[in-house]
Amino acid sequence: MRTSYKNVTGLGSAHKGVSHYIKQRVTAVALLILVPLFLFQFLASITTGYEGVMAWLGSPFGLGLSFLVISAMVVHMRLGVQTAIEDYFGGSLRTLALWLNGFFALVLWLIAIYALIKISF
Amino acid sequence: MAQLTLPKNSTVQKGKHWPAPVGADPKNVRQFRVYRYDPDSGENPRWDTYDLDTTQFGPMMLHVIIYIKDHVDATLTFRRSCREGVCGSCAMNIDGRNTIACTKPLADIKAKVVSISPLPHQKVVKDLVPDLNDFYAQHAAMQPYLKTTTAAPDKEWKQSIKDREKLDGLYECILCASCSTACPSYWWNGDKYLGPAALLQAYRWLVDSRDEATGDRLDALEDPFRLYRCHTIMNCTQVCPKGLNPAKAIGAIKQMLVEREG
Repeated sequence: MRTSYKNVTGLGSAHKGVSHYIKQRVTAVALLILVPLFLFQFLASITTGYEGVMAWLGSPFGLGLSFLVISAMVVHMRLGVQTAIEDYFGGSLRTLALWLNGFFALVLWLIAIYALIKISF
Repeated sequence: MAQLTLPKNSTVQKGKHWPAPVGADPKNVRQFRVYRYDPDSGENPRWDTYDLDTTQFGPMMLHVIIYIKDHVDATLTFRRSCREGVCGSCAMNIDGRNTIACTKPLADIKAKVVSISPLPHQKVVKDLVPDLNDFYAQHAAMQPYLKTTTAAPDKEWKQSIKDREKLDGLYECILCASCSTACPSYWWNGDKYLGPAALLQAYRWLVDSRDEATGDRLDALEDPFRLYRCHTIMNCTQVCPKGLNPAKAIGAIKQMLVEREG
């Protein structure tokens, strides 16, 4: 038998959550600016053909912008999926899903960055 | 964890029908569908329907259920006390929305059949009485009292009129649990998420100019589940029978935590 107070206080506060909250908003605002800029630049480079796209991705601006878009998007995705997992999963399934989510985001980011580097250099 | 279906022994079944009294003018008869559950019977919960002559009782929904208990079916169980929106006892789900029965006029309900059920997603003790022990414990866990380190003054802790005004819209909560039990985040994670009512109370003390435990209070709240399960769904604010805005208070707590980060 457990008291209600014991149920409610549980293991206490995890003392985290603010950084998730801030990162989610910062990446959201960043993406709001970066994505249209990226799409505009990228689509413009497509009209110049394969060589044009390669040249744009190889330029400091193209590379920098692509890096920022991919990074902000992966962080934002990870944070968003984490929220959905926390909402709808429970117990050890939640823990496992949170780990997999982090792992997936990291792998996705590494592959994308590797591709960018390979194209640019 | 989200559970979207009821277990077999909780599936609500069709119950008894209580016809309108003989001689009642059909113009004045309305049908009420009431959730009934008796744990001692071992039976599943059921919807009983009551056809009532609306000229026989007062204008509020509390009048309706008191009339049923007094004149139609004495076995109906519910909580009520002040009958004027101060005690929060008669909180229940009426016409699909949490509210307190005593301040909800029957005339406001357009549905043909008026449904009355206990506050959602709580264990049901009997009929319209939910088990709110954890809800009250959440309130207690917020330590809803003035906490100070400075020695108490000879008279009272002083507060400017401006600082006192910051508590308006926060102190009026009557703990009816309409908000928390209307919140999907509270349904899915009620074991860890504190819910709008407790968080409104937490903010009432966080924003109190006399309270000296602000840091400790924020420490206790900073948690992915306790606080951050709030996704500003706003059901809490929509249903609050006192017109309070728990969602805004929760937003303000999140703001305070961001401020603390620098």
